[in-house]
Amino acid sequence: MDWAGWAVFGLVATAALTATMIAAQLAGLTRLDLPLVLGTLVTGDPDRARVVGFFIHLVAGQGFALGYAAAFAVLHSATWWIGALFGGLHVAIALTVLLPLLPGAHPRMASLRAGPSSTAVLEPPGLFALNYGVQTPAVAVVVHVIYGVVLGLLLRAH
Amino acid sequence: MTAPRPPAPISDYGLLGDTRTAALVASDGAIDWLCVPRFDGEPLFGRLVGGPPAGTFRVGPAAAATVVGRRYRRHTATLETTWAVDGCRLTLTEAMVAEVSGRLLPTTLLVRRLSAEGGAVDAAVEFDPRLGAPHRRPRARHRGGILVCEWGALAVSLTGTPELAVEPGRPTPVTVLPGRPLTLVLAVAYREPLIHVEPAAAWDLVGEDEARWRAWTAGIQESLPFREHVVRSLLTLRLLTYSPSQAPVAAPTTSLPEDPGGARNWDYRYVWPRDASIGVNAFLGVGKLDQAQGFLAWLLHASRLERPRLPALFTLNGRHVPPERELPGWPGYHDSVPVRVGNGAADQHQLDGYGWVVDAAWVFVQAGHRLYSETWRAVRGFADVVARRWREPDAGVWEVREPGQHVHSKLMGWLALDRALRIADTHRLSARQRRRWQSARDAIAAEVRARGFDPAQASYVRSYGSTDLDAALLVLPLLGMDSTESARVQGTIDAIRERLSAGGPLLYRYPPGRDGLPGTEGAFLPCSFWLVQALASTGRRVEAIELFQALLDHASPLGLYAEEMDPATGAHLGNYPQTLTHAALVQAALAIRDSPQVDR
Repeated sequence: MDWAGWAVFGLVATAALTATMIAAQLAGLTRLDLPLVLGTLVTGDPDRARVVGFFIHLVAGQGFALGYAAAFAVLHSATWWIGALFGGLHVAIALTVLLPLLPGAHPRMASLRAGPSSTAVLEPPGLFALNYGVQTPAVAVVVHVIYGVVLGLLLRAH
Repeated sequence: MTAPRPPAPISDYGLLGDTRTAALVASDGAIDWLCVPRFDGEPLFGRLVGGPPAGTFRVGPAAAATVVGRRYRRHTATLETTWAVDGCRLTLTEAMVAEVSGRLLPTTLLVRRLSAEGGAVDAAVEFDPRLGAPHRRPRARHRGGILVCEWGALAVSLTGTPELAVEPGRPTPVTVLPGRPLTLVLAVAYREPLIHVEPAAAWDLVGEDEARWRAWTAGIQESLPFREHVVRSLLTLRLLTYSPSQAPVAAPTTSLPEDPGGARNWDYRYVWPRDASIGVNAFLGVGKLDQAQGFLAWLLHASRLERPRLPALFTLNGRHVPPERELPGWPGYHDSVPVRVGNGAADQHQLDGYGWVVDAAWVFVQAGHRLYSETWRAVRGFADVVARRWREPDAGVWEVREPGQHVHSKLMGWLALDRALRIADTHRLSARQRRRWQSARDAIAAEVRARGFDPAQASYVRSYGSTDLDAALLVLPLLGMDSTESARVQGTIDAIRERLSAGGPLLYRYPPGRDGLPGTEGAFLPCSFWLVQALASTGRRVEAIELFQALLDHASPLGLYAEEMDPATGAHLGNYPQTLTHAALVQAALAIRDSPQVDR
């Protein structure tokens, strides 16, 4: 497995994903803000949360990159389109499993069952994270495919 | 078949809610409105505006009976209705369970209990759920004494103790014996398995919820004037606040008419930042900080996509409101058609909205809290929009379809800039931005005084060049642009009170019918509470108290208010109950509390 590539390019791919997502937010395409969502696990201040969340996101991205590197090694092939396919699989899991599960674990995210005593302020993402804007699934697909393509291009298969 | 009966008067309906959705229940025990799984979902019982084919859920006496008592249990959301039947009494006690988080409970859980006193009473259960615009009938089956109705992703179950063989759409007779109440539990599941709750356990949950509501209301200042009415309004506001996002819905209904038999029927199951901001002020005024924080966080999140522009309204999740459309075949409330869903005001430019929102942020700061820097960025963005766009015509607070140069909008633009500048005293702001806001604020004041004031009437007017008055201008004394002692402020209050009077304590919002829409409308209830607030804040406390008392006499028997009222009959009109009216009531009471004890 390409350990050196994983160490370097995992960060590059996560940075590319994050940058594209921020660009999409600034363009008004989505309200999905992964650094904020992750950082509010730790603090309620949105500005501090973004900083903390950015580093959590980097670590998480590095973890996912390990899976990509291992998969490339198993397939003995690392190409941009295989990376893109993995990115598609990755986002499908994120939108249908990880984000919908988040309200159950996130201390500052309300669930759809929240009642009057709830002081959680972060809105639950809902199905396919559609609560964060109707274009959110499309943005999520694009940024994760970019993540996969970057890793497919930069990692070696062995 | 469900017996054809006309819908009850609007004020006859009580509100049951769980802060995610709400039901309206008439004094005959019929729930004629309930959308699932949330306020803006599809109606499960829609008879209120959809007629008998839209479904209902009635639990009450088998034959017509006299209501001898109807009230909310003190400081709770539990409703009790008592009928006299053949010398006996039958009482329906009902509530929705609000606190279901962290426990294996359905998201929507409605509990209704019938109990008899003085002898056996013949009662009936009519359970006729129909889903959505086409009034879809369910696929129904009985599973071990539980009736389950399904429509694909949505399922509801009805459980009863003693067990009852209820068939959808058919009245089921039941005899209620003293000491042996009938408890019915309706559970709703949307995209998840049904969770059945034993009626006895569900009844205990109602008790737990009551204790929570009492604890919540216990925190409201004891010395607040008209406290019981204020508490009911605050409870109503909280019930209409969607807990998963903390966004207050304007009303839980669509298309209750402003003009019975007419076309002024709108969908209010969305969130207007303006109304919500007034609600924030109301909650902050009684020390309920959580609601204010929740709303500001929601607004920050919801407005993100279009910032710095502030849309006139959002869905509960901050999404764009669906386009307005009419439901074909829906007869409307007392033949008031069309019945609409969606809302066409979503794309309007409404300058006043910025003023309400920035003012809410200012009140939050004034209460000793600091805005997160992201919130302050958003507020700065709103102020920049006002500084840039205040000269443009807008739809105004009344959302008229033809934009104009509304004086109230300009005043609220002034308010946005003034309050943003006040917040900037404790938050970072560049000198250039400060100068730009100050310059725009001063320009607005100069222009409004020059073009928005009619010396002949000694009053500000509705729009530049018009002689019409506008009751929204009653916010004037609260702004601080003109002194509360000034002839302009006093003249405006008196002119509005006299010329927009609809009789008694009621006011029209503007001369009736002057909005380009067909038909007419009733008196606009929030305006009357704004008048109370204006009187109290200009030192006319006695008048304010008298007016407030008179307005309380116009509440529904359960202390609820719609948006409007027919001045001739006192009938409530428009969507119900209304967040804006209840928020205005609370603010009026707070203004009385804060006014000097001696009149000027």
